[in-house]
Amino acid sequence: MEHHTGFVLPNSGHNRDAEASKLGMWLFLFTELLLFGGLFIVYMVYRYMNHDAFLMSSFELSPVMGTINTIVLLVSSMTIAMSITAIQKGNTKTAIKLMSLTVFLAFVFLVIKYFEWSAKIHHGLFPGMEHYTNLPKGEALFFFLYFFMTGLHAFHIIIGVIFIGVVISKTKKGLLTSDNYSLNENAGLYWHLVDLIWIYLFPLFYLIH
Amino acid sequence: MEHPEKNKDNQPTTHHISSYKEHFGTLVTLLLLTFVTVVVSVFGANLATLSVATALLIATVKVVVVAYYFMHLKYDLKLYSWLVLLVIVLFVAFTVLTAIEYINR
Repeated sequence: MEHHTGFVLPNSGHNRDAEASKLGMWLFLFTELLLFGGLFIVYMVYRYMNHDAFLMSSFELSPVMGTINTIVLLVSSMTIAMSITAIQKGNTKTAIKLMSLTVFLAFVFLVIKYFEWSAKIHHGLFPGMEHYTNLPKGEALFFFLYFFMTGLHAFHIIIGVIFIGVVISKTKKGLLTSDNYSLNENAGLYWHLVDLIWIYLFPLFYLIH
Repeated sequence: MEHPEKNKDNQPTTHHISSYKEHFGTLVTLLLLTFVTVVVSVFGANLATLSVATALLIATVKVVVVAYYFMHLKYDLKLYSWLVLLVIVLFVAFTVLTAIEYINR
């Protein structure tokens, strides 16, 4: 980028720093890891204190639904990773398609989650409902943690959808290209983090019998 | 390990581009590990404590695979891997030390 002002920026006019941008994203991801880490410690302690109640309650969850959602998130992690390969190679259209597919898979995840939550709420297991209130302490704790932790995770999925949506729109406008794709990478990193958290949530709530 | 394609300024144009094939291979690995987790938990149900440890171990392997390939740690500056390690060590140290304190009393 040559300018005719007689003044050349030391960074050749590129007022961005891909490495700093990525580092900033990672630092944010660390705060996210410690946020969920704290919740996992709470889960660990209460599970230790209420072993049998947690065991009984976990049978209420559907491992089939959980497994399907795990597969959906893993595939969506691949599609977002591939979208970065596509934009790096300059295949903008492919990148947009792969990002859109990621958003679609995110909605599939949320729809499955919606049906799961609906079934639990139908059984009165949501904190504050009558059946929940009459549960023994340990079982109530399990469902409280289930709703809080999967709820916070689902909230992250929604934020991820918005983030990827913004990136899709900017890519369509030609603002993100094969030599300026930091935002694509950062959206990808965020999406992978959401996947990482689910990788632990899934066995802890659905599979540990 | 430094990668030859990366110059000193770490400009995005010199970054490593992962192939579609590599991403697909990563997904297949993750799906296989998921399959193993489900099998262990369903068929190892009578070995309760063992299956908890196994399920968490496999989950950790999956997390490492995601971070190393999908999150590009393999090809990024080593700084990122060290920072991730630091955060994990901090978390695990706190959790394990607290548990040991509790159990030994």
